[in-house]
Amino acid sequence: MDATLPRQTRLRALRTDYFSTRLDTLVTLGFGLLAAWVLWSLFDWGVLHAVWSAENREACGHGAEGACWAVIDARWRLIFFGLYPFEEQWRSALACAVIVLTGGASCAPWFWTARRLAALWVAGFVTFYVLMRGGIFGLTEVSEQNWGGLSLTIFIFASVTLLGMPLAIVFALLRRSQLPWIARTMGVIIDAIRSLPLLSIMFTFAIVLPFVLPGWMIGDKLHRVIAGYALFFACYQAEIIRGGIQSLPGGQEEAAQALGLGYWHRIGHIILPQAFRNALPATINQLVITFKETSLVVIIGFFEILASGNAAYGNSEWNFAHVEVYAFVGLIYFVFVFALSRYGAYLERRMAVAER
Amino acid sequence: MISLLRQKSFRDTASQVGFIGVLILLVVTFALTAKTNLDAQGMTSGFGFLERATGWGVSFSLIPFDTNDTYARVILVGLLNSLFLGAISLTLATVIGIGIGIMRVSGNKMAELIGTVYVEIFRNLPLLLQAFFWYAVLTTLPRPRDALEFGGVAFLNGRGAYLPGLNVTGFSVFLAAIALAVTVGLWLWLRSARRFARMAPHIKKAWSRGLWLGWAALAVALLWAGRIPETPLLSIPTLKGLNFREGIRVSPELLTCIIAISVYGGAYIGEIVRAGFNAVGKGQSEAGHALGLSTWQTFTRIRLPLAIRAVMPMLINQYVWLFKSTTIGIAVGFVDFFMVISTSINQSGQTLELIAILMGGFLVINYSMAWVLNRVNDAIKLKGTQLRT
Amino acid sequence: MPISQTAVRISQMDKYYGTFHALKGINLEVAKGEKIVVCGPSGSGKSTLIRCINRLEEHQSGTITVLGTELDDNLDNIDEIRRETGMVFQHFNLFPHMTILENCILAPKLVRKQSRAEAEEVAMEYLTRVKIPEQADKYPGQLSGGQQQRVAIARALCMKPEIMLFDEPTSALDPEMISEVLDVMVGLAQDGMTMICVTHEMGFARQVADRVIFMADGEIVEEAAPETFFTTPKHERTQAFLGQILGH
Repeated sequence: MDATLPRQTRLRALRTDYFSTRLDTLVTLGFGLLAAWVLWSLFDWGVLHAVWSAENREACGHGAEGACWAVIDARWRLIFFGLYPFEEQWRSALACAVIVLTGGASCAPWFWTARRLAALWVAGFVTFYVLMRGGIFGLTEVSEQNWGGLSLTIFIFASVTLLGMPLAIVFALLRRSQLPWIARTMGVIIDAIRSLPLLSIMFTFAIVLPFVLPGWMIGDKLHRVIAGYALFFACYQAEIIRGGIQSLPGGQEEAAQALGLGYWHRIGHIILPQAFRNALPATINQLVITFKETSLVVIIGFFEILASGNAAYGNSEWNFAHVEVYAFVGLIYFVFVFALSRYGAYLERRMAVAER
Repeated sequence: MISLLRQKSFRDTASQVGFIGVLILLVVTFALTAKTNLDAQGMTSGFGFLERATGWGVSFSLIPFDTNDTYARVILVGLLNSLFLGAISLTLATVIGIGIGIMRVSGNKMAELIGTVYVEIFRNLPLLLQAFFWYAVLTTLPRPRDALEFGGVAFLNGRGAYLPGLNVTGFSVFLAAIALAVTVGLWLWLRSARRFARMAPHIKKAWSRGLWLGWAALAVALLWAGRIPETPLLSIPTLKGLNFREGIRVSPELLTCIIAISVYGGAYIGEIVRAGFNAVGKGQSEAGHALGLSTWQTFTRIRLPLAIRAVMPMLINQYVWLFKSTTIGIAVGFVDFFMVISTSINQSGQTLELIAILMGGFLVINYSMAWVLNRVNDAIKLKGTQLRT
Repeated sequence: MPISQTAVRISQMDKYYGTFHALKGINLEVAKGEKIVVCGPSGSGKSTLIRCINRLEEHQSGTITVLGTELDDNLDNIDEIRRETGMVFQHFNLFPHMTILENCILAPKLVRKQSRAEAEEVAMEYLTRVKIPEQADKYPGQLSGGQQQRVAIARALCMKPEIMLFDEPTSALDPEMISEVLDVMVGLAQDGMTMICVTHEMGFARQVADRVIFMADGEIVEEAAPETFFTTPKHERTQAFLGQILGH
């Protein structure tokens, strides 16, 4: 084995990848220079000339050459926890960590039966809620009015998913019903809700529902908005599940029928487990989108992470630091969303391999 | 009775009747509760308020509008604004998306890398965050005196973008734009429809040229007819005192929405385009090369058309979804359909009727868009077997 | 024939797909312990016929009585009939997300309410009978076609049905695997199971069948014991079909 050979092939690989034709070389150089310039400017602004700690606030401001990360140092609590009482913020942090752990645990195949997943998430969510809300176990009560920042974003996301997923299964099964009136009506409802902007649905549930619901059902505005979002999520997820069911060979249901299994046994043991496996990448994608779109509640007036970001720089002290704050909030979103979508890509690859 | 429940035909009918019955019950309950609540608050219901004057103005409108105009008109203004924003953003998003998609399948690793970075950044951040970001950037640009210049005819500053424009009525521009859309549609139909496949190429070319010349003539005629009297045809923004006069001012709000939706949509469409190219098997390009076609020819005549056909349904979904995202206008202050409805609710209190109009409007637009695009899809899709690798 | 000895009685049965008349005036009686082979060209309705017996397809007129219970709209009747009939499909239809053992114990546990231990014992017994007990913890995707079909037979047998329906069980198998499946079916026949098989395997028919039925265009054209059927078919269509099938 010639020791110099690996290096040569690597060099040649570099050449074919980046410089194979003249056009290629031009493109590579062009984009490369552009990328280098952008990266250098970002590095220069974001690291070299940046101000990091809050005490150096005077060094920031108009005319400063670098990023003013001091605003993060000063306002990170607002961004993460909103208006949660200062002494109790450790609870908010712990609650967020619990949900992240629950999400991480869901990735382990051991949990992939309906019962275990449901149990895991219900346990995780209840822990989250108890930690945030308090009122028992000696924790002081913090009403939902004061929840904000990242913890409110996570609360909305988890509630929407937990409410919406079972609803999505029901919708999908109704739409696939053999009974024409049920299937078609459900189809019209699902398609109509999917045609509407999420913002308008949230808005309707927030503003209009108090008109049309009897008093005892009205509930809190946050709960209504979550309900509206869950309905929207359920309609999109129902179509994904339906796609998963449709990709199953028809013989599966027939074999189950021939064995004498009843409808619910067939659905629960044969159809849904396989449908969910098929629909997993699309489901993960839908969860990613759901997490991102929680930002819309800021328009309804809730103080989730985008709003708390706005508040962080909005007052006169730091109001030049919008780029830094948005970059930080963006980073937080990015971490969650990127992790989730990478996991989805991993699942897709794993299932493609398994199918061969 | 029990045995009746075990009869399939009975259960089927009963389930269907029951289901519809429950839905009707819900609707009726909502309607009655609404009526009681409205009566209790002494508010009128019905759509009569549409004839009332609004008493408030809007910051951007394609048709003339002032505070004495009716609610019906302001709703129209909002609708047109949303359609306008949607048309521009979707077009830009498509252009960006195709560019990014091509970069990601080009085979040049640097281009692929940049494409991937673009997609990962702009897809993983919420649209609203991006909108707020762009808005903050655009509104903290320097004052008009220190504006960024582009060739002396276009300027960018904290009050918006100033572009050269034509001194014609908005209506004639609108008609010319409609004519353009129709022309593009006809041109694409001419090029790709099966019924013209057998037409001799020089005849097709002649038709094609005629179509474009026809549009050009029509556009010129429309614009000439729509000239505002006693003004030069071309209007260039010039700095007069503290501000720009002449030219077309694109407000930061509109600019933010356009940039945000185009960039965000471009990332998603880029992914779809890439999926399309990946769906076209290598065998197709190999066959092209084996026949002696150059890389460019294989690309434009084989890979690209097949890629588009492969992902048309996904693209249609994406367009509908992107159009719905124009509702972020309200977050930055652009007068889109949703913002008009929301303000009207605040001002007039006619919540239920206005929500109905909001829902109805979006349903109509989205269903129409989906219908038109699905017709296009049916026309161009491959009949028979699917793409094989 | 006394009612208690009848496994399946079909009387003047018609089935339509929309306006297409798929089964025309079918009359058939199958005694307990009898083995019937149904053959015919594709599109003749043979699969449709046996799928009507366990209500995978619905018939529009006439009656089907299985083990004394009439097959109609009544869900209890349908459930009962499905419990007592087992079906083996052309494409096996094993549940890919469960192991072989889990495939076999699912229905006995859920439908016959057996305990896991009971069901596993029965399952292992039948898996041994079809000669693949060692594959119990594998997944269907890891088995060959012949092995999968044998598992499918075992799975159906775990419900201890009175009647076994076979819908072209060997048509999707590679030639070298057909015999292992046919061997199992022959063994089943010798143990006295009532069997109705749609198949092209004429060797199997000769060996095992009490009656061979030929169908064409939705009708039963000819019905006879194997010796008569293969040596002196009465109808022209039967002769043509046999000529094609046995000519290879």
